[in-house]
Amino acid sequence: MTVSEMAQALGLKAVTAVGEQQIQGAMAADLISDVLANGAPGQVWLTIQTHRNVAAVASTQDLAAVVITGGREPNNDLIALANHESVTILLSNEDTYAVAGRLYALGVR
Amino acid sequence: MRDWRADFHLHTVLSPCGDLAMSPATIMARAAEIGLDLVAVSDHNSAKNTPAWRDAAAARGVKALYGLEVRSAEEVDVLTVFDEVEAALAFGQWVYAALPDIACDERVFGEQIVVDGQENILGFEPRLLISGIEHDLETVCATAREHGALVIGAHVDRGVDSILSQLGWLPEGLAIDAVEVTRYTDEQALVEAHPSLAGVPMVRFSDAHLPADIGFQQTLFRVEEPSVAELKLALAGLDGRSALPLRRALSDRS
Ligand SMILES: [Zn+2]
Repeated sequence: MTVSEMAQALGLKAVTAVGEQQIQGAMAADLISDVLANGAPGQVWLTIQTHRNVAAVASTQDLAAVVITGGREPNNDLIALANHESVTILLSNEDTYAVAGRLYALGVR
Repeated sequence: MRDWRADFHLHTVLSPCGDLAMSPATIMARAAEIGLDLVAVSDHNSAKNTPAWRDAAAARGVKALYGLEVRSAEEVDVLTVFDEVEAALAFGQWVYAALPDIACDERVFGEQIVVDGQENILGFEPRLLISGIEHDLETVCATAREHGALVIGAHVDRGVDSILSQLGWLPEGLAIDAVEVTRYTDEQALVEAHPSLAGVPMVRFSDAHLPADIGFQQTLFRVEEPSVAELKLALAGLDGRSALPLRRALSDRS
């Protein structure tokens, strides 16, 4: 499944450009250091974090996309860096558990 | 006994998020200009610019202390402030040994520059300094105290990287001397919302990453001499010593 197919299937709101990159799994984490240590290229990252370092870490780990859950709004610094680094940022009103379950059901393992 | 205008939360060019203008010499010049007389730098997880800080202070006649802002495994930021460069560097080595070996991608995080007191570049710190280290908050605070530090929970009311954001409340028995409050929050309202902070000494510092923010918030310490031991007495309100956090909300800014 591609990032844009996932965004469509889960009704996610895009705040930066959505690409056609293939998704290679997912992780749910709210500690930046966890993603720095364990985030792998092509993964979708589910988090409630909304600060600039989310985009920085998504870029260094070459993640496919970030889904900010729980109806939280990213700050402007995050959006600016995500645009600059071509990081896809998507928003969900559902919490992390629900989004993870739906992704799993869609076959993202 | 006299009053000292203090700011212990200042980021130099060693912090990846620190502005490139934040050399120890520039920070010290600005501190002197605005009447701060007791100042400490506190870079993320490193004391490598504290020797430059000592040199810059000597040139200005301002009293310097030496700090680090340590990020624990839970991603809680803790300010640690030392009397001497050597103690800060020794604690810094303990921190660095527990810092994940992840390279700093300067493109997205910023450069981590080690300088001397005259703004000469000595080198670049290659390891990303904003990672959480492998030790938990309790261990960080206890070990800092063993090394002689004043220990302060940084920006305790902030939504990220603080005791409240990461742990929900202040754990009982944590080895800290005070918590730092940001410009956005009133002390009384904070205690009402978070009863675990009742009776905990509060300070205000700037957390400056830009020259214009230096000393934006300050704490006034009344002490016999500007040492960690005296500052601890002041925070505890003992022996006639005192600590008065000076709030400046964003709208006060001129
Ligand atoms: Zn800071």
